[in-house]
Amino acid sequence: MKLYFISILLLILGGILSLFFKEEYKLKFCSIVAGISTFLLSILSFRCLITGTICSKTIEILPIFGGINFVVDTLSAFFILIISLMSLLGIIYAIGYTEPYQNKKMNLNSHCLFLMLLIASMLGVVIVQNSLFFLVVWEIMSLSSFFLVIFEGNKKNVLNAGLKYMVYMHISVIFIIAAFALLNIESGSFNFNDFSAVLSKNSQITNIIFVLALIGFGTKAGLVPLHNWLPDAHPAAPTHISGIMSGIMIKTGIYGILRMIYLIGVPSKLIAYTVLSIAIISALWGVLYAITQHDIKRLLAYHSLENIGIIGIGIGIGLLGLVFENQIMAILGFTGGILHVLNHSIFKMLLFFAAGSVYKKANTRDIELLGGLIKKMPYTGLLFIIGSVAICGLPPFNGFISEFLIYAGMLFGIQEGNNIAVFMTLIISLAALALVGTMAILCFTKVTGIMFLGTPRSEQAQKVDSDVENTMLIPMSILAFFTFIIGFFPQYAIVPVLAPVTMLLKEKSLPTVFNSVVELMSTISLLFFILLVFLIFMIIVRNLINNQNRQHTTWGCGYNRANPRMQYTASSYADLFVSTLKPMFKRISHIKKPKDLFPKEAYYKVEIEDIEEAYIVKPLIKLDEKLLSKFERIQNGNMQQYILFGLIFLIVAIVGLIYLG
Amino acid sequence: MIITLINILILLITPFLMIGIIKKTKAFWAGRKGVSIFQPFWDFIRLMNKESVYSETTSWVFKFAPIVLFTTIFFASLFVPLATGTAIINIPFAFVIFSYVLGFGKFFALIGALDTGSSFEGMGASREACFSTIVEPAFFIAMGSIVALTKINSFENLKMITENAGIYGVLIITLAVITLFIMLLVEGCRVPVDDPTTHLELTMIHEVMILDNSGVDLGFITWGSAIKMFIIEALIAALIIPSGLPIWLSILAFLGIILIISISIGTIESSMARFRMTHVFEFIFIMSITALLILTLVTYKIYGN
Repeated sequence: MKLYFISILLLILGGILSLFFKEEYKLKFCSIVAGISTFLLSILSFRCLITGTICSKTIEILPIFGGINFVVDTLSAFFILIISLMSLLGIIYAIGYTEPYQNKKMNLNSHCLFLMLLIASMLGVVIVQNSLFFLVVWEIMSLSSFFLVIFEGNKKNVLNAGLKYMVYMHISVIFIIAAFALLNIESGSFNFNDFSAVLSKNSQITNIIFVLALIGFGTKAGLVPLHNWLPDAHPAAPTHISGIMSGIMIKTGIYGILRMIYLIGVPSKLIAYTVLSIAIISALWGVLYAITQHDIKRLLAYHSLENIGIIGIGIGIGLLGLVFENQIMAILGFTGGILHVLNHSIFKMLLFFAAGSVYKKANTRDIELLGGLIKKMPYTGLLFIIGSVAICGLPPFNGFISEFLIYAGMLFGIQEGNNIAVFMTLIISLAALALVGTMAILCFTKVTGIMFLGTPRSEQAQKVDSDVENTMLIPMSILAFFTFIIGFFPQYAIVPVLAPVTMLLKEKSLPTVFNSVVELMSTISLLFFILLVFLIFMIIVRNLINNQNRQHTTWGCGYNRANPRMQYTASSYADLFVSTLKPMFKRISHIKKPKDLFPKEAYYKVEIEDIEEAYIVKPLIKLDEKLLSKFERIQNGNMQQYILFGLIFLIVAIVGLIYLG
Repeated sequence: MIITLINILILLITPFLMIGIIKKTKAFWAGRKGVSIFQPFWDFIRLMNKESVYSETTSWVFKFAPIVLFTTIFFASLFVPLATGTAIINIPFAFVIFSYVLGFGKFFALIGALDTGSSFEGMGASREACFSTIVEPAFFIAMGSIVALTKINSFENLKMITENAGIYGVLIITLAVITLFIMLLVEGCRVPVDDPTTHLELTMIHEVMILDNSGVDLGFITWGSAIKMFIIEALIAALIIPSGLPIWLSILAFLGIILIISISIGTIESSMARFRMTHVFEFIFIMSITALLILTLVTYKIYGN
């Protein structure tokens, strides 16, 4: 346990020490410190996952907290593994990415400090088991990430997005506080251990607490309907921060939900159905809106929703398995869901990093302005394609493994089910997951096709001359390598996941059913190798019958002077799908029609707004403003009146104390 | 071993013949003599010997895409029960792997089309991607229901419907055949969803995606699409042919069903025009409806009493 503390303190210390370095060396120094610390942490957590040893320590810091329990069990260890590995890659990537910002008075100082603080606090969140201290660490995490988001705070939209993020995070924390407060009232303690006695009773109060916690943690994770901060915050933040936030930080929300499930033990039906249905809606909502977006980082943010949804579906299937005592279904669901946590952080960071590289070179996030980049940025292009295939859940990459496990869980449930409600739920989730998969294909063929293929659509894209430097390519390559490894060796990749699943199932040791899961994974691995061999064989065959080649322009129906503006755009690619589902979107069209005999300028641009934001959140804010503006009279800037208010309050308080106290 | 060999042989030969039969049927209805049913094979050989023309816009993706498309289709065909009623590789949850492997090929076909920078090909890719969002969930609902009915999660379950559903078996099989037949028309790009012989780029779906492919690449794509049609027909055959037949009979029945489906595709193509693009959606939605009907019947069968 000491080593965990040392590495976390090392991170914070590194952040503080980085203040004294020159701007060029700041992040390099941070990455060295983080490298040492995360190396230590990943070894420790991996050992914990393999052996299953739990370490814990109680420390008294302040009397109000009582004894603070720090516990690293297998669930925490799994998240520590992800956080430490991925944030290291994020920092290494940041070295290259922040280069243009150096020596421009951009306040890299605080950026490095908060970056290290964010990583340390994320690690803290997963090991603290005292609800009060948990909230403190949680708040440090939210705040430090807020400061990271507003790195380019001189831009107005960045600041707005940051504030929106802040507001959402505080809505989320209110619900978490409420849940913890209820738990404290029921159990009289701040420690998670004592909570499980209350929660495992499975009375009405358990459901209420769980729903409160689900709203709170779900906001962090980006579950619908409190997801709106995600698509704004990610484009505003610098790319390495978006990567870390989307890849790791929102997973702390998932951690919170899993922790609650662990404390509850066997949940009620209500909880299982709630989690599953919210997850399905999130997954569909995310991918649906991702298709309509043309800002690459906004699009990826919506895909985070989708993937959090898939993770949630996995967890929901696991919960259903627990409730209806279908062990294999529970195992497969939880394994798929938790493995998808890892998988999502891998390919989402890969995609964010690749998008950031494009942003660094082409200076735009609008995919409509890009095109043909694969010729100038071959490595980034290849890595982005790998990431896209992986995120669509297609074989032979890692996304398929976790989705397959979830499918397998559903199908086992369908096969053995003896309850009509469960059967229907499972069939709906089966269809939803298939739908999400195909829509993801639609979305990512759009992104890859428009961004990297074809011809450059603007001068910015034309001007891109070379690929990004190695410090940015290496982290991406490592991530791409992970997608391969997990895809081709799933039987080994699921080993670290099995320990947290065993914990969630409240089993002492690995149930024997796990063997069949591992066996299934070996089959998949074998199949992928056959597919790979086939593919290589076919490429060789293709090259053997290599006839003469000729270069020519693209076929344009006999027209040989096709220009880049004639290409299909992202909007037109998505339009057939979007127009089929009209009521799901709010379209804002900007149109300038051609006028006069010789029309000069004409354009048509369409933006799509989230209907949840347009029809629920915005009216609510308006209502709020209207209501609160009534109180403006109180705040009139007159000092005498303020003193009067204070006096009135004091009198009321004293009178109240006398009568009630 | 021999069974596997027979299956592989049939898998390699029949797709070309199937396309030939469709062409012959169309010729028959048009009152022409038509080309030999081996012509698609000779066409393939000819394409293999031709030079390829690559657009200056394209990158490695464009060259890589046909290979991936062909390989994935061929790989997916290994999970499907073929002539002898057994799949070459029989694994649990075959249909999930089946459609995801096909999805991998489709992904590359789509970005390969976008690689040319042509608006025609973008249009085709957009349509193809859009239609598959309707096809896949319906397929999954249908297969999920059959899994629930037969309690078997590999493709073998297609043969077990009658044993498990009794009197409803016939209905379920009919609905499943309709579902798969529409899937065949969509994935195989046949009339009334798409017209493989049209030369109007604006109305095409699959054909317009491969406008710029030529030579070897085009050869692999046509072979791949033929195999794709063939394996969906094989799924239909698996639904209809009962299990437990002697091998020679089941091979005969299988070939007979392939023949009948090919002739009916040819007949449909001769007797009607392709739908307008907006109606194609409605047509594909029939698949969702039949899938939901299967679900209803299965639910009634299992939980009905």
